[in-house]
Amino acid sequence: MNWLKHTFERLFYAALFLAVPILGVWTWVIADDYGWWFPEYASTYADEIDNLFYIIMWMVAITFVGTEVLLVWTMLVYTGKQDTPATYTHGNHAVELIWTAIPAGLLVFIAFSQMAAWNEVKMQMPEGAATPEHPYTIDEPMMEVWASQFDWRAYYPNEAGEFTGPGVVSTPYDIYVPVDTRVVFRLRSRDVLHSFFVPVFRLKQDAVPGMSIPVWFEATKVGSYDLICAELCGWGHYKMAGRVHVLSREDYAAWLKDAREKLQDNGSSDLVAVAEDDE
Amino acid sequence: MLLLATPLVGLASVGCKLEPKVPEQRHELNASAIEANEDLAGDAQAQANLAGALDMLFGSPKEPSMMQTAEWVEDEYDPNGGGSMELSDVEWDALVADNEVHFASQLAAIREERFDDVAKPLYSDDLWASWEAHLALLEPDEQSGEAGMKPGDLMDPDDEESPSWLEDAEYIWTSHYPTLAETAEMYRTQCFHCHGVSGGGNGSTAEYLDPRPRDYRKGIFKFIAIDEKGRPRRQDLARVLREGIYTTSMPSFARFSEARIQGLVDYVRLLSRRGETEILLANDFEAGSTDVDTALSIDKAKETYLFVHDRWPTDDSKVIVYDGVVPTPTAESIERGKALFIGGEGKGANCASCHGVKGLGDGPSAMEVRDEAVGEEYVFDDWGNTIRPRNLTKGIFRFGDRPIDLYRRVYAGINGTPMPAHIGMQIELEDGSKREINESDIWDIVHYVLHLGAVEIEPDVTETLDAFRHDQAHEHGEEHGHGHGDHEGDGHDADHGSGEHTDNDGDDH
Repeated sequence: MNWLKHTFERLFYAALFLAVPILGVWTWVIADDYGWWFPEYASTYADEIDNLFYIIMWMVAITFVGTEVLLVWTMLVYTGKQDTPATYTHGNHAVELIWTAIPAGLLVFIAFSQMAAWNEVKMQMPEGAATPEHPYTIDEPMMEVWASQFDWRAYYPNEAGEFTGPGVVSTPYDIYVPVDTRVVFRLRSRDVLHSFFVPVFRLKQDAVPGMSIPVWFEATKVGSYDLICAELCGWGHYKMAGRVHVLSREDYAAWLKDAREKLQDNGSSDLVAVAEDDE
Repeated sequence: MLLLATPLVGLASVGCKLEPKVPEQRHELNASAIEANEDLAGDAQAQANLAGALDMLFGSPKEPSMMQTAEWVEDEYDPNGGGSMELSDVEWDALVADNEVHFASQLAAIREERFDDVAKPLYSDDLWASWEAHLALLEPDEQSGEAGMKPGDLMDPDDEESPSWLEDAEYIWTSHYPTLAETAEMYRTQCFHCHGVSGGGNGSTAEYLDPRPRDYRKGIFKFIAIDEKGRPRRQDLARVLREGIYTTSMPSFARFSEARIQGLVDYVRLLSRRGETEILLANDFEAGSTDVDTALSIDKAKETYLFVHDRWPTDDSKVIVYDGVVPTPTAESIERGKALFIGGEGKGANCASCHGVKGLGDGPSAMEVRDEAVGEEYVFDDWGNTIRPRNLTKGIFRFGDRPIDLYRRVYAGINGTPMPAHIGMQIELEDGSKREINESDIWDIVHYVLHLGAVEIEPDVTETLDAFRHDQAHEHGEEHGHGHGDHEGDGHDADHGSGEHTDNDGDDH
């Protein structure tokens, strides 16, 4: 009877612990079907960022499944030997060397494998004068994005390229950018730390008060995408959202022209909109 | 061990079904309005009567509803219809188009007849009820055993013009306009924690905010586009909701659909009318009076309710629209604007008396009251909060930074604050002749203000600490008083400029 209870407990706990890797892998397998996986991507470097994620994910997955299987195996094999006393060891040089060298090697591998992406996304900032292929540079950015509690606001320069004074277009909540164009902008904060995060671009950059941080991306798909604050910035952090509207180049040019013209509005656009024949 | 696991699993499954118990909200009385009237402050019964009258006129937070009078029924006017009755056809079409975007997943599911995939959105109990009722038409009738409708069937089989069940199903979603009860639910999650259950600007987070959230109960709103210090149009309130009030704690709510925003406008207006009615009734109350003007009677409540209701604009005849082409800034207009800005009372627009000669918001009138104990100087707004004039050198303006927005601020002043209307203000020119400030003068001032926002200011006067800023301004105010021109050539320097923007919540208008 005792033997039966013991066997049942062994199998029950082994199964319980085995359920962890099985459920983990199963969740991963079905994640895509349920929309739990990555959102679509819409920038030139998104693929590269995803690949980095996959490299690390596979490392973690193999280690996770391996250790879990080892754990379950140990539970099954060693709890079966009821009459054998446990043995004590005082370390094993070879094993310790292995479990230090392998993670260290992996860390070095991760460090090197991400350098190209880091270099491209964060360091290769287009400087100097704008060219027709790259109309925006750090010195002539397309816009300034200001983060503040709890709003995003984009400022588009006036025709003289200045970000202050008459002719500057500012858009609360909505940010408009052209597709297939290297968009360079300066990210600034008015108060505390915020983070500019557009998941479909795989772009996340902190906004730091007192700093003007150059950021770039190149959107590859026309559409409207979520912008969220990814740095806890106060009680209203959860409300701090925006939309990035990727327009075709023609639409973007038309939008900017229209927005500049609207600055000269005499106030009639604030009247109640009615159909022309009703007027 | 196994026995221990069972109750845990049971507990977890029960726990998942439990929703946090939210106590039902009740409207609260306006404490300051009651204290202001001694008769009312000492009379618990009268206070209860007042609360009852307000509940009758405006409903509860759970079931908000403005009272429908017999005359309105006759005129087919529904005070609770809100935007669904007031919006123009163009505005309504835009609202429908926005619903199509926000309910895209539901509409796609309906079009593909995957009715189980239609998910209930937030704050839409009434919408969901009509959807479920519509869905029930597809079910066979249990009593008569009659077969249910097919999605393609016409709603009225005898009328070929009538929409099909599917078309009607789409219409339920695309034409959704939230009821007051749905909006009240949304208000409870999104707005109440700052603006309070009755719109008193006294929610739980309010005390941590500077500037304080708006108290709707006075019916005073700062950000309006009309030429009087009156009630806002629904378009003004909607704009504030869409854009937020920049650099205050009021964020943009543009992530919600146009219908939701218009619904919130209705609800804010209900709370505001309720608050105004409450204040008027509280002010007029006299203990033991039987006179119709001073007793708290149903007639009196109704009369006040109608009076307040009619104070809110229903058209945009008062909107400030500049008749002509908006002038572009020139060196001359900036110079003229500067003269008007600095010119004192009777000589110019007197802006500098509050905003300071350099536009830093540190003029002498900005510090009318000095609290010796705290060492601070300030003025108050109509809500009794301390405010500071806007620091115009930051280039941050609330309720829009288009020239026409600034023009309206100068033209009509700002509701609830000491900022006066400037149009028609008498000024005496250097040659002794007198005239009134006209529209072109206001454009000059606007151009100067835009110019102030564009030039760099020395770092020594842009410190973040207010006290330090004030001291600095006093010391350097005179000697640098005319120094704006010196900095014009600096252009824009990103790192240099960042200092001037770090303190932005300090000023209030």
